[in-house]
Amino acid sequence: MSSDQELYGRRGRVVTDMDAKDITRVEELAYDLKIQEVMTRDLVVASPTMKMREMLELLRNRRISGAPVLAGDKLVGILSLEDLVRAMSANDLDADVDKYMAKVLITVNGYESLVRALETFTRFKVGRLPVTDEHGKLIGMITKGDITRGILLAIQKDYQEEEVRRYRASHLFEDIVSDRTTIVMRYNIKKDNFLLGGNASSNIKRALVRLGATPQIARRCGIAIYEAEMNLIIHTTHGGRIKVEIEPQQIIMTASDDGPGIENVDLAVQPGYSTATNEVREMGFGAGMGLFNIKRIVDRMELTSTLGQGTRLRMIIFLERNESLGEATADQTSQGESAE
Amino acid sequence: MNLQTIMDELGLTCLTQGRNFTTITPTSGYASDLLSCVMAGAKSDGLWVTLQAHLNIIAIAALLELSAIIITENAQVEPAVVQKANEQGVTLLATPLSTFEVVGKLWALGLRAD
Amino acid sequence: MKLTDITRLVEGNLLTSDSNLDWEIRGACGADLMSDVLAAIQPDAILLTGLCNPQVVRTAQMADVRAIIFVRGKRPSQETIQLAEQENIPLISSAYGMFELCGRLYQAGLPSLEVNLDCEE
Repeated sequence: MSSDQELYGRRGRVVTDMDAKDITRVEELAYDLKIQEVMTRDLVVASPTMKMREMLELLRNRRISGAPVLAGDKLVGILSLEDLVRAMSANDLDADVDKYMAKVLITVNGYESLVRALETFTRFKVGRLPVTDEHGKLIGMITKGDITRGILLAIQKDYQEEEVRRYRASHLFEDIVSDRTTIVMRYNIKKDNFLLGGNASSNIKRALVRLGATPQIARRCGIAIYEAEMNLIIHTTHGGRIKVEIEPQQIIMTASDDGPGIENVDLAVQPGYSTATNEVREMGFGAGMGLFNIKRIVDRMELTSTLGQGTRLRMIIFLERNESLGEATADQTSQGESAE
Repeated sequence: MNLQTIMDELGLTCLTQGRNFTTITPTSGYASDLLSCVMAGAKSDGLWVTLQAHLNIIAIAALLELSAIIITENAQVEPAVVQKANEQGVTLLATPLSTFEVVGKLWALGLRAD
Repeated sequence: MKLTDITRLVEGNLLTSDSNLDWEIRGACGADLMSDVLAAIQPDAILLTGLCNPQVVRTAQMADVRAIIFVRGKRPSQETIQLAEQENIPLISSAYGMFELCGRLYQAGLPSLEVNLDCEE
């Protein structure tokens, strides 16, 4: 399992030496994963007394581009396609493998992290490395293709874990039996923390997707709560709080703060009306569209404010039967306002 | 290409006082909603495309002597903004199209960034 | 249009690693006001913007924007790039300005992916 095509990732991108030095997103995995977790164990092995012609057949039949050379138990060299090419151009295919194989052996240990292998690839400009155990015994081979595949599999596993989380969460409402089940999430939002703005909204959107919300519902909730979160960051005296109440048939999101309050609530909802500073505008916010956006995107919006005391913004999205979270019973469909 | 041709081709509505737009020839185009970028990047006699309808856009257009501002997506323009534009001799044009589409059409008509 | 084709058209540099450039982009939107993006953009668009703070990525995440192009060679902070990688949103930087990029992409057949919001309603 180490043909030339293996040097290409699933998406056709070649992992070059440059990339090997420069990888960022996969860096974590490159440190976490061990060489022995991704290396090829099923080895095609050559011997020093094999003829280069046999080697050509071997590589061709097994569709690989190189093989370690073992004398008995001992690793004595490595033979790659380039060595074969050299022999072919010298019209010397009847020579022994011993004559053309690389004898200066660079190896890596199986228990080292992938980063170690990447560094070695870069440093010695090689494409494959024999992997040994702590006693120096050959246990496998590693190529850049193995690393790419290993990391892709790990990413895929992350993805599957997310799927499992989603599966579990989406059955929450079915698994818990009550007359009215509500999941409540609370977030504290700090004033002026522009860099972290959207973290709460991001978590809320993710939770909704896990709970089985449709992409459309998750998007509507995400957009509305994000506008509200940015409002708390930009306009309040001390920041504020977000509360999200999730039920099978409705999602209620509340953003509240303790000041300064809105002087004219009707005016605040008008598109284009804004009290934001130029600084905030230059950061892409404060164009006076936030509340207008929210009003458009949610099913019901209630904005109450007392100057000097604070503001409460309540946003409700109703879920149609085909959008509902979990298998809602008829009892839960009665959205009793009195329960508030 | 003069401003009247552009207005006809794109179906732009003029919000400010009419004038002989055939004598105005925008020499370049600029698109941004960030006023500091426009200050730094737009060239005089240029055409500015934005969805900002804030009062501050008039001062910038007057300062940079832009040939006109195209306000996209039917962004609501307050009467005070139109009044200020008239005072400063700034031409405001409006369209329901998005910035992307307006610029695409201007580009197709041959207008470039510089 | 595939993200690879767009990257080529805008002569852009990919800033995020491990990004999927095979994604199909349905259209584009050029804006620097995030509320406008949140209000008007349709899912699966590419966003062209002159802003480069983390909020652009957050906005993209909320509005299901597929990828972001930063105009005028702007480069976001490392934190922004990490956030984008975490949320799987490819970031591309192009040396050209918004006007040039909108022009090129529109010319290449990429439609506008903003709904018309009538503020008067």
